[in-house]
Amino acid sequence: MKHLIVFVLVAVALLLFAVCPVIATEIWIFAIFGLGLNLLLGYTGLLSFGQSTFFGSAAYVAGWLLKHYAINAFFALAIGVAVGAVSAALVGYLCVQRSGLYFIMLTFALNQLFYFIAYQWTSVTGGEDGMPGIPRPALLGIDFTDPLNYYVFIALLFLASLWVMKRIVESPLGKILQAIRENEVRAEAVGYSVPRFKLLAFVIGGAFSGLAGVLYAMLFGIVPLEAIGFVFSGNVVFATLIGGSGSLYGPIIGSIVFIWLSESVSVIWARWPLLLGVAFVIVVLFFRGGVVEAWSRFWSWQSSRPRT
Amino acid sequence: MAILETKNLTKAFGALAAVNDVSLSIAAGGLHSVIGPNGAGKTTLFNLLTGQFAPSAGRIVFDGRDITGTPASRVAHLGLARSFQRTNVFPAFSLLDNVWIAAFARGKSWRGLAWRPSDRYPETGAQARAALADVGLAEKADQAARAISHGEQRQLELAIALAGAPRVLLLDEPAAGLSPEETRKMVALVRALKGRYTIVLIEHKMDVIMSVSDRISVMHFGSLIAEGTPAEIQRDPEVRRAYLGGLAAT
Repeated sequence: MKHLIVFVLVAVALLLFAVCPVIATEIWIFAIFGLGLNLLLGYTGLLSFGQSTFFGSAAYVAGWLLKHYAINAFFALAIGVAVGAVSAALVGYLCVQRSGLYFIMLTFALNQLFYFIAYQWTSVTGGEDGMPGIPRPALLGIDFTDPLNYYVFIALLFLASLWVMKRIVESPLGKILQAIRENEVRAEAVGYSVPRFKLLAFVIGGAFSGLAGVLYAMLFGIVPLEAIGFVFSGNVVFATLIGGSGSLYGPIIGSIVFIWLSESVSVIWARWPLLLGVAFVIVVLFFRGGVVEAWSRFWSWQSSRPRT
Repeated sequence: MAILETKNLTKAFGALAAVNDVSLSIAAGGLHSVIGPNGAGKTTLFNLLTGQFAPSAGRIVFDGRDITGTPASRVAHLGLARSFQRTNVFPAFSLLDNVWIAAFARGKSWRGLAWRPSDRYPETGAQARAALADVGLAEKADQAARAISHGEQRQLELAIALAGAPRVLLLDEPAAGLSPEETRKMVALVRALKGRYTIVLIEHKMDVIMSVSDRISVMHFGSLIAEGTPAEIQRDPEVRRAYLGGLAAT
């Protein structure tokens, strides 16, 4: 695991030279979003197709406060985390009562509900036009309108999020969630209330999504309607699966691949989702553990090769 | 003194009463077996006792406390642990993690639940290792549960129940699907646990039942048809009729 931490740190530094700061920033925001999803998907075994509910709600609420009340950045982040957690508690409470396909459909349906509220409530959200004019307030005298400053700020927040998530998955809670993924009946029988722990996973995942949502709104200065749409929910699932849902680092790698494809390659080639599709098919057919598994298989193959 | 009692316990699935008006009293410290032909309602009885199902009628009293309708996750905390007839472990987990998760559930406090690294709970770790050692799996602690043999998985099944430091242990056919050799080991294990825990045992192998039980209850079509010591049960004509389809009684 040590070399993965080094890898993450190097990636944070190098990414700036590979792509422009806005895209690099978006990658780490999306990675925070993915970390939250993966607590549900990879650790608890819950496929939530409605993560943008929490992302979008947080972006709208914090964005609106930033725009109309000029709140400071820290307060905006706290609001985003809170809105993400509360909306996830609401949605989670309804969803954890069901399992399997019904669970997935419920997360999706509730996502649609939130989407149409945002779509209709044009006086606040701007509907299809989105909610523009969100400022990026300075913090402790640092000017965040400078893309490089904002990148460093986001990269630090991402590293902090990664550290927090690492603590969570290595704590008893992480083990309990994995136990639920492995065998719900036994987890219940040894003394864990499965719905309650699933709800807890939802709330934590929602808090991460909310944080990502605010940062996204501040990055682009706008909350587009898509930020609360189901395509966005699907994207984070795709990215996480491509990176590898079995690992803490999977969603990070997935986010690098996904955002790079969608922001850089899309400029050169409008049919870029085709590449994404091919990548996804390869993952599903050959590397169920995503890029992380492909990488570790490559290394064990390398080291088992006789040296000549 | 009875530690676990059922009073007129009934569970109906539609028109079928899987458990019908069962009043049972389990004495503290003993080994009480529940036998009966397949489909007699033994496992359903366990599911009711541990809160997997809520009963249709009747009451369950554990240690003087009415636990009827208490959900499974709460029942475990009261000190009622069970093993399952069909192996029911956490397949991707190491053996140690399998028992650790059960030991933690019943731990004194969940402080640091979402923050403290799980290897920094020395008491829970020790309890988990002790449970593995109890069933003879200590050397395999780091192997994955899906990688060990069926016999060992049955032992692990038991270890998970033990790790929760229960007061009453409900064992649902611990020797199911075991070879004669493995069965001998399992019987020795159950014998070793006798006295340390109050045990309720479901089993089909009659020689096992007769040799380890203090008391035996016999179920047939959901109802309790006999109760007594092994010697009494062997003489009981109703029991013979249930098992031999009336041939022996005529």
